[in-house]
Amino acid sequence: MAAKTDDRPIILKVENVSKKYIIKNMKTLPSNPTKGQMIRYRLRKFEKNDFWALKDISFEVHKGDRLAIVGRNGAGKSTLLKLISRITEPTEGRIEYYGRVAAMLEVGTGFNSELTGRENVYLNGAILGMSKEEIDKRFDGIVEFSEVEEFIDTPVKRYSSGMMVRLAFAVASTMDPDILIVDEVLSVGDMKFREKCLHRMNEIAASGKTILCVSHVMGIVRGLCNRAIVLERGKMIYNGDVEHAIKLYNGINEEARITSRDLFDLPRPRYLNEKIRMQHVDIIENKTCIYKWDEPIRFVLSVKVNADAEDVSLRAVFSCDNGASAACAFVPLHADFKSGESKNIYVSIDRHNLAPGDYKVGLDLTQDNPYDIYNNVDSITPEAFFITVKNIGSEDHEIEDNSARLWLNSWGHSRIMETTGEVRN
Amino acid sequence: MKHKIVNQDEISGMRTVIEPNGKNFQYWKDIWRYRELAFNLAKRDITVRYKQTVIGLGWSIINPIINMLIMSFIFGSVAHLESDGSAPYSIMVYAGIIPWTLFSKNFTITSGTFLSSAGLMKKVYFPRIISPLGASIAALIDSLISFAVLLLIIVISFFLTGFTPCWRLVLVPAFLVLPIALGFFLGLFLSPFNIRFRDLNQAVPFLLQVGQFLTPVAYSFAVACAAVPEKFRFIYELNPVAGAINAVRWCIIPDNAFHWPSFISALVILAVFAPIGLMAFRKGERTFVDLV
Repeated sequence: MAAKTDDRPIILKVENVSKKYIIKNMKTLPSNPTKGQMIRYRLRKFEKNDFWALKDISFEVHKGDRLAIVGRNGAGKSTLLKLISRITEPTEGRIEYYGRVAAMLEVGTGFNSELTGRENVYLNGAILGMSKEEIDKRFDGIVEFSEVEEFIDTPVKRYSSGMMVRLAFAVASTMDPDILIVDEVLSVGDMKFREKCLHRMNEIAASGKTILCVSHVMGIVRGLCNRAIVLERGKMIYNGDVEHAIKLYNGINEEARITSRDLFDLPRPRYLNEKIRMQHVDIIENKTCIYKWDEPIRFVLSVKVNADAEDVSLRAVFSCDNGASAACAFVPLHADFKSGESKNIYVSIDRHNLAPGDYKVGLDLTQDNPYDIYNNVDSITPEAFFITVKNIGSEDHEIEDNSARLWLNSWGHSRIMETTGEVRN
Repeated sequence: MKHKIVNQDEISGMRTVIEPNGKNFQYWKDIWRYRELAFNLAKRDITVRYKQTVIGLGWSIINPIINMLIMSFIFGSVAHLESDGSAPYSIMVYAGIIPWTLFSKNFTITSGTFLSSAGLMKKVYFPRIISPLGASIAALIDSLISFAVLLLIIVISFFLTGFTPCWRLVLVPAFLVLPIALGFFLGLFLSPFNIRFRDLNQAVPFLLQVGQFLTPVAYSFAVACAAVPEKFRFIYELNPVAGAINAVRWCIIPDNAFHWPSFISALVILAVFAPIGLMAFRKGERTFVDLV
């Protein structure tokens, strides 16, 4: 990849950049302080600690590159973008670029709720560094894109939050810089508008603009970017191919993956009668919570029975990152529980048939009829645990045509999920 | 390490280098590029201030008039202080209020700029000085409206009391630059102190209130000088804001002589604090985002 791009000029160069923050922490006073401790505490309530948000970052961006910056929260992505967009200065190192940089770090910055949509477009445009003529030229396009024609002369405080965000994105996305910096702004508005935003971003990308993009949505990274760097705790751990970066990112996330979780103290909906309470869930046979499309999801759920309950079954609800339910697995246990018992339920979702992506898994215990949510006796939504379904990527060549077709056919059809469940002591 | 980017002729556009404590030669160019933003911010300030008011811009007329009426009532009618020459007390007071307001507003704006526009500055890059500049322009527009009102008052008092202003009236706009610059740069000088410790923000209104009574806003400079013991009189005469006010009054009131000591004091303080203020501000703006 790198060899291919070498003939294009470098437009941005980041050399050994570090950023230090000084964090003041309030000291904690021991519970029975001595006089000396007390005085020292009074004199100096805070202790200062250095915190390196970025350490020794170097990379180059060629003209026309769409570089993704991925990493967990606190990895330093936003700090890096802030340095490049000149909001704050690096502590060490050097950044050099050619042309105009424009940053969409947070849409709607500088929007004033008292001003009308029109006034805000001009103000926001000016804040983003556009001249009046530039905005004049693009004004109709902005209004059309934002779909707020009727209300363009209404104060923004009368807008719905969606309308305001749409207008703000429309202004920001008409900037015509040499390097565009985008920080997680594509997750605005309703689904239709998000698609529109993504489409706009793809247009900008296709026009040969250089883009730096931070996103936690790997779909966007995959679709938009041709290169990626991975940051972890302020250090750059990878620079290169997008797919590999995503793998690394998911790898980083593994630490955060929980394969064992206490459920008894998680919040429950109010209406539950507490006959049975889920205590704990253990995911078995998988340490990463990353599954292939045909790999069974197996877990053990321990429950405590507070009152006799008959004909209890289990339901697992899979929902996407954005909260939308994606699929539902019914586990017809039809088990009878006696008061005071503690039981383990072994569940295997043998064929989940889920499309690649991240899913939260919620668990419901139901009585009589597992298909009716009003029969819940215990419920943990939306997340008892978290799984990722792997892409059928290049390494899965062994998948036969037939099974690939099955996967395609069953996409989104939750009823094809094959489940088994068993109650043990 | 500082090698040039390859094939740079293929890339149009300016080269920007970001380094810690680096000299940013582009800064002044950037200010020019972002000049429209200053006007936009000024426009926003003024529009927003009078949104959902009935009288609207009328408030920038009413405010100084009420101020003038109160001051001339207390100091002129109650305390029976003397005015300057033939000028009605109200005109003398009004001629002091305009430069004082410009000074105090600019001082408040620039000294508090890192706090008041932190929200914007933390999200977008623009030369930071644009933000106080915009607010300063808005304050200037208010004062120009006040000045128009002063002209009206002068016309009215010509018919009522026969007060005739002199030709120097046309110089007023030029002398208004002095209080603006004084307030702006003194405020800039103090602005970085607001980043770490916000005590200054609390102290500024109080300081300005004290300053207003020490400065001949509501009373005549000559009267005040006469009241100050001779030993300390030269200190009193060095008040730079008094210099600005005296100059404006000299323009309006024909009997006033030009008061050089205070005027020169104002120029000297300006010459010292303009570069220092700018430097302090530039130093503060580098990393204030991390601290505010």
